[in-house]
Amino acid sequence: MTPTWRRYLRFWRPDARADVDDELAFHLQERVDELVAGGMDTRTARAEALRLFGDMPRVKDECIEEALKLETEMRRLETLDVLKQDAIYALRLMRAHPTFTGAILLTLALGIGATTAVFSVVNTVLLRPLPYRDADRIVWIAEKFRDGRGSASGGHFTDWTNQSRTLETTAIWQQRTINLTEGEPERFRAARVTPSFFNVLYVRPALGRYFLPEENADSRVTVLSYPLWVSRFNADSSIIGRQIRLSGEPHTVIGVAPATFTLTQFDERLWTPFALATAQTTNYGAHTFVVFAKLKATATIEQAQADLAAITEGIRQRVPDEMNERGVEVVPYRSVLVGSVDTQLWVLLGAVTFVLLIGCGNVVSLLLARATSRRKEIAIRGALGGARIRLVRQLLTESMLLAIAGGLAGIAVAKLGIRFLVGFGPAGVPRLDLAGLSWEVLGFATAATLLCGVVFGLVPAFRATRVDLQSELRDGGRSSRGVIRDRVRGTLIVGEMAVALVLLVSAGLLLRSAYLLQRVELGFDPTNVTMMRVALPAIRYDSAEAVQAGVTRILDQVRALPGVQLGAAGTRVPMWGGSIDIGVRVDGRAFNPKDLLIGHVRLVTDQYFETIGIPILRGRSLKASDFTPGAPSVVVVNETFARRTFGEENPIGKRISGWTRDSLPEWREIVGVSGNVRAFGRENELPPEIYMPMTHAPAGAWPAYNRSMTFIAKTRTDVSVTAAMRAALKNVDAELPAFDVQTMDDVLVQSMATRRFNTMLLTSLGLTGLLLAAIGIYGVIAFFVNQRTHEIGVRMALGATSRNVVALVVQHAAGLAGVGIILGGLAAYWATKALSGMLFGINARDPLAFVVGAIVLLAVALGAAWIPARRASRVPPILALTE
Amino acid sequence: MKNELLHGTLEVMILKTLTWGRLHGYGIGRWIMEQGGDALRIEEGSLYPALYRLERKGLIDAEWGLSEKNRKAKYYRLTPKGRRVLTANVTTWTDFATAVGRVLSSVDAPSRA
Repeated sequence: MTPTWRRYLRFWRPDARADVDDELAFHLQERVDELVAGGMDTRTARAEALRLFGDMPRVKDECIEEALKLETEMRRLETLDVLKQDAIYALRLMRAHPTFTGAILLTLALGIGATTAVFSVVNTVLLRPLPYRDADRIVWIAEKFRDGRGSASGGHFTDWTNQSRTLETTAIWQQRTINLTEGEPERFRAARVTPSFFNVLYVRPALGRYFLPEENADSRVTVLSYPLWVSRFNADSSIIGRQIRLSGEPHTVIGVAPATFTLTQFDERLWTPFALATAQTTNYGAHTFVVFAKLKATATIEQAQADLAAITEGIRQRVPDEMNERGVEVVPYRSVLVGSVDTQLWVLLGAVTFVLLIGCGNVVSLLLARATSRRKEIAIRGALGGARIRLVRQLLTESMLLAIAGGLAGIAVAKLGIRFLVGFGPAGVPRLDLAGLSWEVLGFATAATLLCGVVFGLVPAFRATRVDLQSELRDGGRSSRGVIRDRVRGTLIVGEMAVALVLLVSAGLLLRSAYLLQRVELGFDPTNVTMMRVALPAIRYDSAEAVQAGVTRILDQVRALPGVQLGAAGTRVPMWGGSIDIGVRVDGRAFNPKDLLIGHVRLVTDQYFETIGIPILRGRSLKASDFTPGAPSVVVVNETFARRTFGEENPIGKRISGWTRDSLPEWREIVGVSGNVRAFGRENELPPEIYMPMTHAPAGAWPAYNRSMTFIAKTRTDVSVTAAMRAALKNVDAELPAFDVQTMDDVLVQSMATRRFNTMLLTSLGLTGLLLAAIGIYGVIAFFVNQRTHEIGVRMALGATSRNVVALVVQHAAGLAGVGIILGGLAAYWATKALSGMLFGINARDPLAFVVGAIVLLAVALGAAWIPARRASRVPPILALTE
Repeated sequence: MKNELLHGTLEVMILKTLTWGRLHGYGIGRWIMEQGGDALRIEEGSLYPALYRLERKGLIDAEWGLSEKNRKAKYYRLTPKGRRVLTANVTTWTDFATAVGRVLSSVDAPSRA
């Protein structure tokens, strides 16, 4: 084989060995020639040359080794160099086409950012495992009554615990409230639990230990929640072993639960241990205990359900009377925690997916457009010997650079987004405050980015390199296949428009719900009203008289506060407190116990209606004289009660009775009819209500209300009396804690928080979708104009006005948008059903939301198309023709 | 002894040789031996690994060409980097060689403490 031939081969594969052989052969040849020239015969000369050379095989090996190393190093350098070249070229292109680059980057940043932000929240609230050990095995065992899930009796708990074959541990959790009388008295939500509770829901304690199996209420020990430990005891770790007074009794703090200990929705702040009394273990009638359990590792939910159903059936056999319409249900703990926010989160996730879809549509159509407009360049590079793989690599490098830049921008947007969502999130969404950019989320974002870059970069790359050079150069980039590609882009845009419309309609429905809700008449005036809840302990306020005296003393203090114009109290004020349903009979009508009229009773002080701004529609309000002992019993009823009970008849002067100790009536005269009040918040019905002077409370009423009253103070503008009201309470009884002191405006805002949060989320996603769709249609129309510069030039040269040109382009856009809107309308008609539960005052097919959504989308689409259309109309014909 | 010394200096000598222009391996070897005489007579083969090492270090470049007798030969050339390294090493090496020469030819006895 001649050396030349071998050198030529090296274009395909490196051949270091042959090179070394050639070089050494040359050396020997030269040496032999020289020796022969010096008079040696050829054979001797050859032997002498080899001798002079030395260890030929070793030299050869060393040389080959060095050469191969060099070869590898060179190849590596070359690859890096190519990559660098590609990147530099890509960056230069990106800078040369700022519109394209901006559109893609914006799309990726918004698409990936919004997706990641919402995914982070969903991840934290729904998907992330609960912090407990073996969290998948934790269940709530509910007693079923008809369709409802509820608490279980001590007997049920005992039988389930003793007889089940599928449960490892069972525990009782029972809510209570506790007065912490340590320093500033305060009232807390708390829970009494069996010591096993912390075995079922186990997270390593932040401090100390949890309850021992033998500990019970008599042990006087308590475990604090993390928030309480921080807010009340300044996160002082010497708290362990210290005594604190809970409702007057000293308790020893033995542990602090960690911050990750997700509290139940009751949001308890501390726990005390207890054990069932012997009598309770055989009681099947008092359904007062929430039962949690941990399944055995081998058991499934279904097996546990069957197991417990069998045990419960056994209970039914023994005590059929207690088991009327009752059953048992095993519920995974996770679904207890997230149950109510479930639908909302899935709706959000769906919306997020839509946004990502629109974003991907944009990326594909933009890259496709770019690849098409570079057909000529690619064809020339191909013609000049650029390998196809090299061209594909170039295009891929560009896509990857865009994807990475977009992904980074997306992560930044996501971080902002998460902060925004957490900041504006309502208090009621569990674990929302723990949401952050997690590794899973980063992985998700990266995957989305890579998918956009590789998959969507690859498709246009391969399509673009499969270029027929001849036709490409001949047609100057305008070939009939461009039409097909236009169709692909057109389809993408139609799809984007459709998806965007679904988002817009959904957001519109929620916005309209929020608006309608805002306009609902509350029936009272919440401005400048501050509320304070107080429960009087039974020990010192045992009789009705003692309670009333206590309430009066506190009320006098509140009314005397500077800035307070009016003050009153009631067992229930709008948004807060409890009322009790009673059956009512009417004087002069036949008494039929089966057909009792129902009324919600609340005990109030005088000036109640005036303080909270409830109008009296007929008759009069309650006067101070109605409250004196021995005064005739009078009541005020609301409109609903009056209408349901008396129809068109005048209710004033009628007498009603209810909540009596025996079947003898205690008549109370109706002196006034008040307006209806949205007492349970804007979204709820208007129940029939009866207002009774607290001094004429039915016997046994105070214990039924837990001796608890809410004091309300109407103040002059800009006066905050929250602190003053606490102080006033302390003046009366230093041991009395105020449960909660808040302005009514705050309470109202909180009651709407979840709805506002959802509306905000979906609206921002809808706007993101709209923006992305606008970018998409803008990109496609701009490209359309670009491709047709030549055609437009011809048209204008032939006399088309610039208006004609704008019309031509905008028509094209309107066609795409129109088809998209029709399809989107159909899709939305089907998709918005999922929102039904989140709407108020309208149904999911609200025409206004559909029409407005369609109009907004069309306007934005045409607006986006108009910009490139204007540009097209300004094309000088001569430029278009010479190009 | 002779070989070890040579091994380190061979590369410097190759670089020096190439300052005259491009040359193939055989030519380099012959020039060094012509200049150094019998004192530098080495196994000719040991030149080649040194050449490959220098090429890998980027101190010399190689390309194929035709010799005077029209044979295909691998020609070496000094790279700018090689030229820089040579300049630095020549000084070091001559200093070293001079120093060694001084020691070996000294007639002063070491002083005793």
